[in-house]
Amino acid sequence: MENQILEELGRTVTEFDADGAEKTAKKAIGAGIDPLKAMDSLIAAIRQIGVAFGRGETFLPELIGAAASLQRAMPIIEAEILRKGTVRESLGQVVIGSVAGDMHNIGKSMVSSLMTADGFSVHDLGINVSTEKFVEGVRDSQPKILAMSALLTTTAPEAEKVIKAIKEAGLRDQVKIMIGGGAITEEFAETIGADGYDATAPGAVVAARKLLGK
Amino acid sequence: MALNGFNSRFGPLEILSETQVREMHKSTLKVIGETGVNFHDEKALQVLNDAGCKVDFDSHRVRFPEHVVMENLSKAPSTFKVKARNSTNDITLSSGGPVYFGSSSGFRTIDLDTWEPKSPTRKDFYDFIKVLDYLPNVHQITAFPYFGFEGVPQMMGIIEANAAKIRMSSKTQMEGAVHDNDKFTLPMADAVGMDLCCLVNPAAPLSFYETQVHGINRFSEADQPFHFASGPVMGATAPVTIAGGVICPNVESIAGTVLAQLNKPGCRIWFGNYANEQNMSTGSPSNGAIGNALHELVFNQMARYYKIPTWSSSSAWSSSKQIDFQAGYEAGMHAVLCALAGASMVILQCSLTMQLVAHPVKAILDDDIAGMVGRLLEGVEINEETMAVDLINKVGPIPGMFLDQAHTRKWYKTEQYVPAMADKMPYGEWVKHGSKNALAHAREKFEEILATHNPDPLTPQQDQEIEDILKDARQYYRKKGMISDEEWKVYEKDLGSPNYPYA
Repeated sequence: MENQILEELGRTVTEFDADGAEKTAKKAIGAGIDPLKAMDSLIAAIRQIGVAFGRGETFLPELIGAAASLQRAMPIIEAEILRKGTVRESLGQVVIGSVAGDMHNIGKSMVSSLMTADGFSVHDLGINVSTEKFVEGVRDSQPKILAMSALLTTTAPEAEKVIKAIKEAGLRDQVKIMIGGGAITEEFAETIGADGYDATAPGAVVAARKLLGK
Repeated sequence: MALNGFNSRFGPLEILSETQVREMHKSTLKVIGETGVNFHDEKALQVLNDAGCKVDFDSHRVRFPEHVVMENLSKAPSTFKVKARNSTNDITLSSGGPVYFGSSSGFRTIDLDTWEPKSPTRKDFYDFIKVLDYLPNVHQITAFPYFGFEGVPQMMGIIEANAAKIRMSSKTQMEGAVHDNDKFTLPMADAVGMDLCCLVNPAAPLSFYETQVHGINRFSEADQPFHFASGPVMGATAPVTIAGGVICPNVESIAGTVLAQLNKPGCRIWFGNYANEQNMSTGSPSNGAIGNALHELVFNQMARYYKIPTWSSSSAWSSSKQIDFQAGYEAGMHAVLCALAGASMVILQCSLTMQLVAHPVKAILDDDIAGMVGRLLEGVEINEETMAVDLINKVGPIPGMFLDQAHTRKWYKTEQYVPAMADKMPYGEWVKHGSKNALAHAREKFEEILATHNPDPLTPQQDQEIEDILKDARQYYRKKGMISDEEWKVYEKDLGSPNYPYA
C-alpha cells in the first residue's frame, strides 16, 4: 500500500498531473507515510525528468509540467516534515523568486525544480517579489543561497536593489547570491555584485553547487 | 507498410492559370507535331511510324500527331509504387500526391577544411551510403552519389556503386546507365527483390540518341520505373524564356513517353526536371538561379495536367564551392519551391560546386531543409482544439502562460519542427558549448552515424549473388576490352583489400 502510494506520487510528477500531485500528497500524509519517503519519491521523479531534459529527450513543456506537479505536492510534504520535526538532509537551503515587476515563472520554476532534484531545499517566494520580501526571506530562512530571476531588461535592475538591501540589513556575508534570466548577463551579474550566474537552468544548479564548494 | 512522404495540406502552388496551361499544352503539341524530335534508332523510328507518327527515316525526325500523344500519355500510370529492399521503405509516386526527397550526387568528394575536390575512396563511398540510409528525410538514394571511386575502372563505376547502395541501404534506389551496364545493375535489383529506378537523359534540344532509346526499350521491357530529364540550359539548349524553356523538355519527355508506352503500355514513367538558366558570363549552367525554380513551378504544373509524377532537381545543384551561406539559400529556397510546385520527388541531399562534388556532411545539413519543408507542407490544422479558444480564455492575460498547459505538451512536438543540426542556443551557452555552427554539428553527426548506424544487412545468399554479378560484369567488360590492363591492375589491388567490399 505504501509503495503503491509512493509510486503514484512519483507518477503525478512524471505524468504532469498537478491536481493528482496535491491529492496524492495528502493521501500519503493521511496514510501515515514517512514524509521523507514521500519527498524522496517526488525528488526521484523530478530528477528523472531533469536528466531527460539534460539529455535532450524531453523539453521545456515537460519540465514545467513536472515542476507544476512538484510545486503542488511539496508544500504539503514540507509542512508535514516540519510538524514531525524531522530533518531532511540537503545540500543547502535556497530562497528563490522573480524580482519585483517580473511576472515570469518559467525559468525560476525550472531552476527551483532542478535544484530540488539535485538535493537542495528550495523555498520559492514566487513571482513579482518585492525587495523587502527577499530580505525577509533571507532573514527568516537563513538560506545558503538567494537566487533571483529577471527576464526583462526593465526588471533586471531590481536585482541590484535587492543585493543593496541585503547588504544594508547586515545579511550579505551569510548568503551567496546568484541571478539569472533572459535579461541577465555574466557582466551584469558581476557589476551588481552577485556571486553567481548562469544562462540556463541546469547550469544554475551547477553554479549553485560551485558556490557552496560542492 | 511504406513511406508516406510529405502530404501537402494546401495543394501545390499553381502560377499558371488554366488558360495558360492549355496554351502551353497547345504550344507543346505544335512543336512536337511540326518540328518533332530526333530519334537516332531505326527500330524506334519504325515503332513510331507504325503508331501513326510522321517519320523521316533519313533525318531521324519524328513528328507526333495529337492523338498519338494523348493516347499514349493516358496509358502512363498517374500513380505507381516503387519497391525497396525493405517494404517499409516502399514509396508511391503520384501526380499531385505526396512529396518525397531523394539524394543528389557529385563527381567527387570534397575536403571540408580546404574545400578542394578529391577522389573518393571505396570507404568514402560506402560510408556515404550509410549516412544516406540513416537520414530520415532521404526517401530514395538516387544515382551514384559519387561518380565512381578510386581503384575502380570507369566502366565498373556505376555497377560498383549500385552494389554498394544495395548492400548499405534498404531504401528505394535509382541508378544511372552508361553503355549497357544495366545488364548488371537490373539483375542486382532483382536479386534482392527491389525496383531500380532508372533514367533516360534525352539530349537537349529535342533529340534521343541510340543509347537513350536503348534505355527506354530496356527499362520499359524490364518493367522498371524510369524518368526523362534532358537538362535544358535556358538560353543555350532551350529558349531563354522560362515558358519556352519548359516547352522543350515537355516535348522531349512526351516523345520519350510515347515510345515507352508503345513498347510496353502502362510502364512506369515520370517526368524529370534538370533545367538551368545559362550563366551569361561564364557559359556554364547557373545552378541555384531563381529562374530554375520558376521553371520547376511551370514544369510541375504541366506534368500535373498530363497526370504524370515528377522528379524535380533545381534544389539539388548549387553553384557554391563551399558549404556556406550561398549553398544554404540555394538549397533551401529551391527545396521549398520544388515542394510547393508539387514535385513527386525533390532531389536535394548532398551536392555542391555545380555537381562537381558531393559530401555526406552536406547531406546531413540538407536533410534538415527537407524536414523543414516537410513541416511546411503539413500546414496548419484548424479545429476547435488547435484554435484553443477555451485554453486562451482559461489562461487569460499576464500572469497567464501556456508553457505549463497539457495542450502545449500534447501539441508542441507535432507543431514544431526542430532542425537537428541548427544551432539555436543563447549566445553564452553557444560559447560554453564550443561556439559550433551547423557545419560543425554536422561533421560531428557524420562521425556519430558512421560509428552507430547499422543498415539492414543483406542475407549471405543475397550478398553472394551481388558479388557474383559484380564478377560477371568485370569479366564481361574485361573481355570487351573496356577495362584496360592498367585499370585492371589497380582494380585487382582494390578487390584484394582485407576489408573488401567496404574499404
